[in-house]
Amino acid sequence: MDYTIIIALEMLRAIAWLVLLSSGLAIIFGMMRVINIAHGEFLMLGGYTVIMASKIGINIWFAMLVLAPLVVGVFGILVERLVIRWLYGRLLDSLLATWGLSLLMIGGVTMLFGNTVEGVSTPLGGFSVGIYQVSAYNLVMIFAAISILLSVWAVLRYTSVGLIARSVMQNPDMAQALGVNSTFVYMATFGVGSALTGLAGGLIAPVTGVVPSMGINLIGPAFITVITGGASVVTGTLSASGFLGSVDQLITFGFGPVYGGAALLIAALIILRILPQGITGRFFTKKL
Amino acid sequence: MSDQEILRTTGLTMRFGGVTAVNNVNFSIDHEGELRCLLGPNGAGKSTFFKCLTGQLVPTEGTITFMGEPIAGMDTHEIVNLGIGIKTQVPNLFNGLSAYDNVRLAAKRKHLKRQAIEKTFDMLSNCGIENLKGSEVGLLSHGQRQLIELAMVLAAEPTLVLLDEPAAGMTGEERDRLAFLVKEVTKTASVIVVEHDMAFIKQIAKNVTVFHRGEIFAEDDVKKIMKNKSVQEIYLGKSADAA
Amino acid sequence: MEKSILKDPGLYVMVSIGLLIMIFLPIMMDMFAIMQITQYVVLSVYALSLAYIWGYGGILSFGQSCFFGLGAYTFAVASINMGSTSLPFILAIIIPALFGVLLGYFMFYGRLSDVYLGVVTLVVTLIFWKLINHTAGPQYAIGDARLGGFNGIPSIPILNMPTANGQMMDPIQMFVTFMAILIMVYVGLRLLIASEFGRVSISIRENEVRSSLLGYDVRRHKVVVFSIGCGIAGMSGAMWATYQTFIDPNAFSLEMSAKALVWVMAGGVGTLAGPIIAVVILQWISLKLGQLNIINNFVLLGLILVPLVLILPKGLLPTVKQWSQDLWTIWKKNKANEGDTIIKESETVNAGRRK
Repeated sequence: MDYTIIIALEMLRAIAWLVLLSSGLAIIFGMMRVINIAHGEFLMLGGYTVIMASKIGINIWFAMLVLAPLVVGVFGILVERLVIRWLYGRLLDSLLATWGLSLLMIGGVTMLFGNTVEGVSTPLGGFSVGIYQVSAYNLVMIFAAISILLSVWAVLRYTSVGLIARSVMQNPDMAQALGVNSTFVYMATFGVGSALTGLAGGLIAPVTGVVPSMGINLIGPAFITVITGGASVVTGTLSASGFLGSVDQLITFGFGPVYGGAALLIAALIILRILPQGITGRFFTKKL
Repeated sequence: MSDQEILRTTGLTMRFGGVTAVNNVNFSIDHEGELRCLLGPNGAGKSTFFKCLTGQLVPTEGTITFMGEPIAGMDTHEIVNLGIGIKTQVPNLFNGLSAYDNVRLAAKRKHLKRQAIEKTFDMLSNCGIENLKGSEVGLLSHGQRQLIELAMVLAAEPTLVLLDEPAAGMTGEERDRLAFLVKEVTKTASVIVVEHDMAFIKQIAKNVTVFHRGEIFAEDDVKKIMKNKSVQEIYLGKSADAA
Repeated sequence: MEKSILKDPGLYVMVSIGLLIMIFLPIMMDMFAIMQITQYVVLSVYALSLAYIWGYGGILSFGQSCFFGLGAYTFAVASINMGSTSLPFILAIIIPALFGVLLGYFMFYGRLSDVYLGVVTLVVTLIFWKLINHTAGPQYAIGDARLGGFNGIPSIPILNMPTANGQMMDPIQMFVTFMAILIMVYVGLRLLIASEFGRVSISIRENEVRSSLLGYDVRRHKVVVFSIGCGIAGMSGAMWATYQTFIDPNAFSLEMSAKALVWVMAGGVGTLAGPIIAVVILQWISLKLGQLNIINNFVLLGLILVPLVLILPKGLLPTVKQWSQDLWTIWKKNKANEGDTIIKESETVNAGRRK
């Protein structure tokens, strides 16, 4: 019984992990059709914000929940103004440019802070389920993932901002003709996506530690989740994270984490072979 | 040969999610040289029907036989190589290349080098676009692009030619040339034309099939169709009386 | 287009330059310099692999290093096990090419769009990099070759002369052999591009729908183009492994993939000579800057890549060509003194540029 609970918790943690890693990317991709290759470095930036802030004595929760999204969100808006906005409609070029940005950020952070792993201890400690010890922080991550998905869904579904966002997502030209300033919407979207990424980066920092090249380990699962999910932000992220997280975790239980990661990729490739537009390209097409 | 049935679809159905674009269509082209017009308002399923015939879409249900061979589910290139040619609604050309190169690429599918070049010149002059042969096609008008694509389709000498709104964007002169060409084509191939331009349809067609909401609504001689009250209601409106 | 490739003077100029370098450089320079230059040759072959599939097949792979690394590891493992090097060298072409067929099948038959293609190639590379990094333990060995994880594989045999006695190549012989390979790859690709097959590739790159409506099997064709590129990348990996006598997981790194992209972008997508020139110039710069130790290599790559995309998306060589052509037309029209045609002409030129 205890073992079942542990497995269930681990599954949920793996799913939440993918949701955290990919939701910012999914928003940017779903709304703007831009894949931000520097996504991993945005996560890294969020992580560094938390580590640096806690080093100078700022409360870690404040750093994770406020500072990290703020810093990365502002940075994202800057990037959108300087680079991305010239490349709308030029998908491949935007991939290339954000890749350049990714290299620039890895190199830049290395030059600033050095190529060493920095960490901060996980807050909250643990609790036990029977004979097993569980980190309470896992619950925080699961809760954060659920809150992110719920709030994105609620904003898109119920607010006028969400309606504008959805209209731009469906047909940017038409939205513009109706008087929506799509330039601003794109900028704001990129900012919000970046802020969410920063939040995720901050939340995972205590678990992974930070190092300039940490993004490389994170973008694989993030990209795969987004393209497997397809264009719908919430449903896509949720369904792909659910499926891929379970596959990853099951294989990890059997064979170890490296094979879990590989299995995740193979599962995604097979899905894309069957559903080239991702899960929400075929199912739940009307969902957000 | 000319007695052989060219094309038959049985129960052809295409659904996208909850939308049925083509519903249970039984359609046939019975003999070589037949020319059939497809009519129908926008969204009636004509272009989707064409895409099923060329394998760009795989039909949800139903069968398609072309020259006695079942082709539903085959890849586009396989179907094309069996002898179906299509001029798509929005011309698909190699924009960076000249008109000559575009047509020659098509001619080379059927002919060896020397003949391919002859064929290319034949097609360019038949379609009345010899003067455009050196022009980069990306820079030409819609009507001119239509003619170039037509030349490409014909250069590959298909048995069945599908033309999706060929007269759109054409000048009066270009349209007359097109009508003449279509009649020429029926000497060696069967033709299905989707068109909105009533004057043009009268100019070329004998038999007309009317699509409405993904189904075949009526199928008859062009003059009878023009007079058919319910067809006028769904599609032709008052313009038919005027024409 | 009708012009035969064999009548193209550019081909002969490039081959002559290549042959001159191959013959005279070993006479003119000392051995250490030759060894340095050999790495440019290897990386040029690697750059050509991407220049071909991207420029002439329209396939933008973000994971070219995956095949480079696969070739390098294949050669390392096979040559350590077999003792000889000729067969391993061939295997290092075949295995990446076969893997390219497999991956290509998933990507092209799945009708993935360009963006997904980029992401999938990137992620596959990441997975390889991760897996190889994790093979440090002694249980990860293929025959006599231990994979070594992040420590890499040391003592990879140096390529043997393909003659009967088969002694090890000295650095000069290796340079000459690699130059010969580079020239062969270049000529081979030029011939392939000019052939019927190559023209079909270009027509697919230009308009996929029309190509399939002309009866070409677009997906199969793309798989073949992709796997040719993978084979060449694999070969360059093997050359790298035997040149360094050492290989580690960085062969699979994103940096390696990014370098290929930067070279091809800088040299010009749709040319073969351009990327080779870019390899020589950019590698030289990064070597010099690396010695100064002031700027991180990643920063340098990023600083080249971002402005390239923003300002010169077609690459240096074609952009310079385009500019000189524009200037030429404007100048000509100015001479003809017809104000309105200038505008018209420059509009035409603009419309002819990339979408």
